[in-house]
Amino acid sequence: MSAGANEKRAFKVAVAGQPNSGKSTTFNALTGARQFVANYPGVTVEKRAGSFSYRGDKVTLVDLPGTYSLTSYSLEERVARDFLLDEHPDAVLNVVDASNLERNLYLTFQLLEMELRLVVALNMTDIARGRGIEIDPDLLAGELGVPVVPTVGNRGKGRRELREALWEVCTGAIDVRSGFRIDYGEALESSLAPLERAIAGLPEILNRAPARWLAVKLLEDDAEAAKLVTGVTEARDYRLSSS
Amino acid sequence: MTINDLSAGQEAQVVDVTVSGATGQRLLDMGFVEGTALKIVRNAPLVDPIDVLVRGYHVSIRHAEAKSVEVELL
Repeated sequence: MSAGANEKRAFKVAVAGQPNSGKSTTFNALTGARQFVANYPGVTVEKRAGSFSYRGDKVTLVDLPGTYSLTSYSLEERVARDFLLDEHPDAVLNVVDASNLERNLYLTFQLLEMELRLVVALNMTDIARGRGIEIDPDLLAGELGVPVVPTVGNRGKGRRELREALWEVCTGAIDVRSGFRIDYGEALESSLAPLERAIAGLPEILNRAPARWLAVKLLEDDAEAAKLVTGVTEARDYRLSSS
Repeated sequence: MTINDLSAGQEAQVVDVTVSGATGQRLLDMGFVEGTALKIVRNAPLVDPIDVLVRGYHVSIRHAEAKSVEVELL
């Protein structure tokens, strides 16, 4: 980005998390009262948007619907997923409930497989501690390959560090394309490999979604993923037959 | 044996989820993954739901869904 020193840059950050992870509380802590309800055409699920300024730049946050997963079975999940794929956010803030870390990381893995530039807010660390759960944020950050910031959303704890981390990821000051990869084992990998290779040969698809993520979704028999691929291949067949 | 066959207080671990589609996905999302330990907290004998403790949190599922989670006793 070749913005001048005085030029204010605008970044877009999607906020994703499971229901009751403190997503909206974290969103409010970061943006204050400067939020409005964003209406997106074609869907009835609302996305709230708000912003904060950091080091002269404007960071706009879009609060996605809380989802346990990112499949295409429900409207909320499709809305969240389409936004993440189509709107190309500069960063994604993934709010996770530290007291239910295992279950929350399931969504985190899906976001990482979508090759999004993630910052993890390790929220409700106070409740986790109350249950005797102590999580080492640096160790988690090392395993995931993305910044992890401990927060207590309703007390604003970690707000400054979170803004800093988001800004750093948005500006590219830190690179968080972590290369995180789940090994699904020989049985699945041998099916994923040819799918990945086939998808990699379709640039129209790669603009929309990463090859490995799409291969996993196709194996899951995900209807929207199948539609994406058939849409592209049919258009390609049409061009070939009419040329 | 499925979760539906368990009674309150019994502990088991997940062997398989036998339903696909949205219900299967949601059960997996809720942590009913092969090898996961669970405990039946309360079990309504005739009407739904069943209160299951998984990984430290409570999940309420219907009997119909409970029949789709194969388990073995611990």
